[in-house]
Amino acid sequence: MDTSQPSPSLRKRGRRERKTRRSVLVAERVARTAISLGGGLTIATVSLICVFLAWVVIPLFGAATLSPARSLAGGRASEPIVACATDEYASLMWVLERSGRVSVLRLDTGATLETLSVSEQAQPAALGFDAASNVVAVGTSDGAVRLATLSFAVSYPDTAGSGEVLSTLRPEERTPFAGGLAERLADGQVRCVRLELSISEPFELGTGAAKSPPRLLDLNVTEAGATVAALFEDGRLTVGALKRTTNMMTGAETLRFRGGDLPAPNAPQSEQPIALRLLGAGDNVLLVWRDGRGVRYDARELRSATAAESLELLQSADVELTRVGAALGERTVLVGDSKGGVGAWFRTRPEQAGTVDGARMARGHWFAGDGVAVTAVAPSATSRSFAVGRADGRFELYFLTSEKQLAEGRTPDGSAVDALCLSPREDALLVHSAGGWSAHQLASHHPEASVTALLRPVWYENYEQPEHVWQSSSGADDFEAKFGLMPLVFGTLKATFYSLLFGVPLALLAAIFSSEYLAPRTRVAVKSTIEIMASLPSVVLGFLAGNVVAPLVQNSLAAVLASFYCVPIALLLGARLWQLAPQGLVLRLVSWQRLLVITLALPLGLLTASVLGPWIEDVAFGGSLEGWLDMQHGGAAPGWFLLLLPVAAIGATFAIARLGGGWVRRVSQHWSRARCAQFDLLRFCATGVCACLFAALAAALLSAAGLDPRGSLLDTYAQRNALVVGFIMGFAIIPIIYTLSEDALSSVPEQLRQASLGAGATPWQTALRVIVPTAASGLFSAVMVGLGRAVGETMIVLMAAGNTPIMDWNVFSGFRTLSANIAVELPEAVEGDTHYRTLFLAALALFAMTFVVNTGAELVRQRFRRRAYQL
Amino acid sequence: MTELEFDPKPRVAQPTAGPARSVRRRDKRRATSLFAHGEPMVWLTGGALGLALAMISTLLFVVISRGLPTFWPQPVVEIVTHGGERFAGEVALSESFALGPEALAALPEQAAARARAELAANDEQIARRMLRSGNYDLTGTHFRWVSDFEVAEESTPEWMLCVERLEWGRFYGVPTALEFDGRRTDGPSEQMWAEFERAHAQARATWDERRSIEEHDIGRLAKAKEEARLAVRSAELAHGAQSPERAAAEREAEALSAELDEEMRALGERIEELKALNAGRRLLVRTADGAQATLPLEQVVRAYPANRLGAFDKLAVYASRVEEFLLDSPRESNSEGGVFPAIFGTVLMTLIMSVLVVPFGVLAALYLREYARPGPLVSAVRIAINNLAGVPSIVFGVFGVGFFCYTVGGGLDTWLFPERLPSPTFGTGGLLWASLTLALLTLPVVIVPTEEALAAVPRSMREGSYACGATKWQTIWRIVLPRAMPGIMTGAILALARGAGEVAPLMLVGASKLAEELPIDGAFPYLHPERSFMHLGFHIYDLGFQSQNSEAAKPMVYTTTLLLIALVVVLNVVAIWIRARLRRRFQGAQL
Repeated sequence: MDTSQPSPSLRKRGRRERKTRRSVLVAERVARTAISLGGGLTIATVSLICVFLAWVVIPLFGAATLSPARSLAGGRASEPIVACATDEYASLMWVLERSGRVSVLRLDTGATLETLSVSEQAQPAALGFDAASNVVAVGTSDGAVRLATLSFAVSYPDTAGSGEVLSTLRPEERTPFAGGLAERLADGQVRCVRLELSISEPFELGTGAAKSPPRLLDLNVTEAGATVAALFEDGRLTVGALKRTTNMMTGAETLRFRGGDLPAPNAPQSEQPIALRLLGAGDNVLLVWRDGRGVRYDARELRSATAAESLELLQSADVELTRVGAALGERTVLVGDSKGGVGAWFRTRPEQAGTVDGARMARGHWFAGDGVAVTAVAPSATSRSFAVGRADGRFELYFLTSEKQLAEGRTPDGSAVDALCLSPREDALLVHSAGGWSAHQLASHHPEASVTALLRPVWYENYEQPEHVWQSSSGADDFEAKFGLMPLVFGTLKATFYSLLFGVPLALLAAIFSSEYLAPRTRVAVKSTIEIMASLPSVVLGFLAGNVVAPLVQNSLAAVLASFYCVPIALLLGARLWQLAPQGLVLRLVSWQRLLVITLALPLGLLTASVLGPWIEDVAFGGSLEGWLDMQHGGAAPGWFLLLLPVAAIGATFAIARLGGGWVRRVSQHWSRARCAQFDLLRFCATGVCACLFAALAAALLSAAGLDPRGSLLDTYAQRNALVVGFIMGFAIIPIIYTLSEDALSSVPEQLRQASLGAGATPWQTALRVIVPTAASGLFSAVMVGLGRAVGETMIVLMAAGNTPIMDWNVFSGFRTLSANIAVELPEAVEGDTHYRTLFLAALALFAMTFVVNTGAELVRQRFRRRAYQL
Repeated sequence: MTELEFDPKPRVAQPTAGPARSVRRRDKRRATSLFAHGEPMVWLTGGALGLALAMISTLLFVVISRGLPTFWPQPVVEIVTHGGERFAGEVALSESFALGPEALAALPEQAAARARAELAANDEQIARRMLRSGNYDLTGTHFRWVSDFEVAEESTPEWMLCVERLEWGRFYGVPTALEFDGRRTDGPSEQMWAEFERAHAQARATWDERRSIEEHDIGRLAKAKEEARLAVRSAELAHGAQSPERAAAEREAEALSAELDEEMRALGERIEELKALNAGRRLLVRTADGAQATLPLEQVVRAYPANRLGAFDKLAVYASRVEEFLLDSPRESNSEGGVFPAIFGTVLMTLIMSVLVVPFGVLAALYLREYARPGPLVSAVRIAINNLAGVPSIVFGVFGVGFFCYTVGGGLDTWLFPERLPSPTFGTGGLLWASLTLALLTLPVVIVPTEEALAAVPRSMREGSYACGATKWQTIWRIVLPRAMPGIMTGAILALARGAGEVAPLMLVGASKLAEELPIDGAFPYLHPERSFMHLGFHIYDLGFQSQNSEAAKPMVYTTTLLLIALVVVLNVVAIWIRARLRRRFQGAQL
């Protein structure tokens, strides 16, 4: 509205020219700008929340990027490559060839820095490599073995004292220095990386007189020591541990091999195994043939190792096995075949394994490929990614657990890939083919995350089957973080379900009473009290849940459970007795007095429960409900009986009303009020007896059929459980649902109520048939808002739910919700990594869930209001 | 909760029972059927309401009944068991339990016989008490259970002291002598006790002086040193490692350091002096089992002969403990002492939050209601803001830690405080970020009632104002805002209450279990918004959920809970009261 210019008519009639003061105009403009700007900014900030959360989450699903190939000039291997590795900064790479030659390459230029050898002989009989420790076992033709350790040494030499070479180095420039490569970093320091090769004294494998050269070797080095397995030319298979002994006199260290022979595989001598692998901590040996056969030996006891199982690693007969590798941790074997498929096999422990060690190898993951043979498999040294190279020059990068293809590429000349190397930080991928080495830069952001990995069951290493697991951290080094969100979503739903189960009926019934049966003045007082309940800090509720309610419920579980039956029964029975009271008294007690009378039934119900509960526990549940829940004693029948009792009661009520309702209406027309009341009491008792009979019958049938409620809805008791959470969460959601539904019920137009009462309906009939249906959408939206609150509640579930991310509907077990999980783990998550972003995803999911639920509720409520005004 | 419905409904629902006269047939007496009243269902609804009210009152009762008596001094009981053990302590808990046959069989024969006798006499239940027996440094335990059948002898010795110490928890014992600056008074006696009270005050004064030096003066010196180091680093970053500026800064820092070291030495001497002074002030105590212990007076926070106290003395102890609770810092990993830093942190954080949220919330409401052109967009924004109130608080915490702490704070750090990196200044949780996060969280709590209050100002009043020639801003400022003031106040107070009680986001953005320094102190710039702070709600979480010695911490948690509930409930009651007044006023205006 523009009021700054007085209208012409005013001006004409006015005695003097009226003009708005300048300061007023300025104030007007300033106010408009400030309010629009401030208000707009505030609203924008609010929408920023959603945008920011999404911005953090989106990189989680980004694909890895692979730069175009950069050919390295030198280092083309003339012999098969046994192993290769780069240093942490991807500046140097060593390549071990079959001849024992080790060449060290600069990755920036491709020039060969130096050439070493791990073997004194020109051609070692066999080479074995342990990727975790970078140790090579070199077997010579006389049957002896040496260990060669290839390690990168990083030093930061003092630039001042080391002469011209380093002091003139410009930032980011590299130069050979002291047998390694020096680089000036951005902060001015010089970093020098150098390969160090140390070769141990030789040791003999076994004490046998016949010194046969080894054909296949593998070793596994852990902190505890090393394990070596060897297959000799004469078919003997041996495995044993290496012990380092020190000579007391000379102080010289020698390596001693102690082990035993494994039973020789019963395979034709003509076909030789192509790979020998030590699995895990070196306690399993796997021998693999070209046609896909494999034998796994249990070598936990080195002296009495036996064959545990024989395997078929390939699916069909016309496929050949081409490459065998191991993923990080060496517990998973990667098997590539001539049709391009790669299978990942690891040990599982199924119930009936039927093997000596109770374990079986299972193919947990399968990467189908497209028919082109696998010619190279290379695992990452830090994660469960691995690269696969093919005969037509293509190569791909996969993440094992999520089965996600991260990147793919092709060698420049299209010749077969024969070796691959992933740098430890996964920022470089090196590919060797007939044309020599080519380097790719790699950015593989969050390989372990994908929609399926987050939401679908994932087959983790050494699990029996695909499962939903959330386990973000552990003490172990080679632990794989498991980000299955489903257990948390499940926990959230479970918390919501049980708290709504308790809270919704209570809140809705309470709202009906206060809107229909309370005088306005009392209603305001009651509503204010309940609003104070809404304002209780949830940390207080959580604390009381964990420290007061949980122990209390545990100590008197039977009484608490009995009160779920006794309190409603006490109320229903109380009403019947109250009907017997003189009508004058009944009519005189209205509003809060009536509430008071009704409330008296509560302590009676609780008292009955505290007596009855332990008695039932003794009689039906063998004296200990917890023991019964834990399946220690007792049968299924009493549990079924109690579970089915409410259903049976409702069924019996309806059945009796259906069968005898018409008759009762006819006969009772002439009855006095007292007679009606007596009849009602009688009918109530009859209904109760019927319900008990129904429930007992059903319970007997169900337990005869072998069904047991324990194991699903009921199970082992944990002190912090869904029952406690549901109860305490009631404090948080009852007030919200109550207030909103009370508002909805109260805003039903008064004329409807008056008309219904005027037509002769009782207040209860009015409430049930007129008010509640009219307000139904309002009540629905109130429940939705309550649901929104229950979904996001943090402190209560954090302190009272035990926080175990398990998935079962058991009322007596704990759970972990999305919100509690965020509260526990976000402070420890590293900014920007997968864990951090996954937690943001959880927050975004919570945000979206509650926002959708609340918007739905708001729209419903607005429609209800419009309708209510129209009526 | 924040709905402002004002429908003046003069409605009393009354059961319209009683015979309704039939007009058509006189012979048949038609009564409204009793069944039509649905009495049982009405009882269910009433029972639900009653239960809800009972739940809230039980909860408040539990908190008050456990929180209030915490500080009341209890008598100290000395117990001699049949096994010959003697110990003393305050009764912390009494309960009865059923003794299983295995446990009974494990008992020595005589004890088992007594237990059986009690079981038979006492309905198969054994009564037992948990005694806070203290003397942790001697016994290695704070509490011990004693079943009634084990007790051979029970007494309340007159001079049994309850001593609260700075370390190791409480001590119970009878004083045998007081040593004060070379004088020795043997006891226990009235005269010795009077002497003790004097001596104790002196020793504590000396200790206070020492602590003040240790905390403030030495802290100041350390800070100055740190500043000098940062100046060197700053010069290095700005001008390079070999620059003359850096060399100059380094020289300056060295000079300062020498100066500070000198000062530090002087302070160290003074501290040694005070230590030596207090070394000779000791109380010799004999515990119930006859062990001798020496308590340095400076370590004694409070000591009283529990069994000699009259009602007024007890009240004095109670008052002194309440005072300590409200005004002192916590000690013994928060399970003793006070919660002053937490109160201070809560209040300060809530104040900063409201300073941020109230003006912006009102601006947003004014914009939405008065300036923005009504349309689907504004309705959508309104619904969105309304729903923001239902978004879980933890989500705001996640946003706060990601956006404020890491993004904005990290940016500020590299821009303003590069010399302190990699240790973050603003790039981690702190007071400012917590306040901002909670301000976002409570924004809808302010906007929604403000908007409703603005909408409720009758149109006629605005039109009257415009008709008098007032501009829009003048109308808003002089007519609309004053009338909407109660609504805005309600919103602001509800926001305060919500902010004070919210914990989940604070766990992520800056509340800490023990903050060394208050966010306001005497060092420039006085308010330190980057510091982490203590918060009552987080204090409850930490003590109740994560405390090591949770039994000893329990009384503290209940009192803290009581304090927090009182704070929040008072704020809410005020808001409800204002709203009720507002409603009456509006109803008056509408009529």
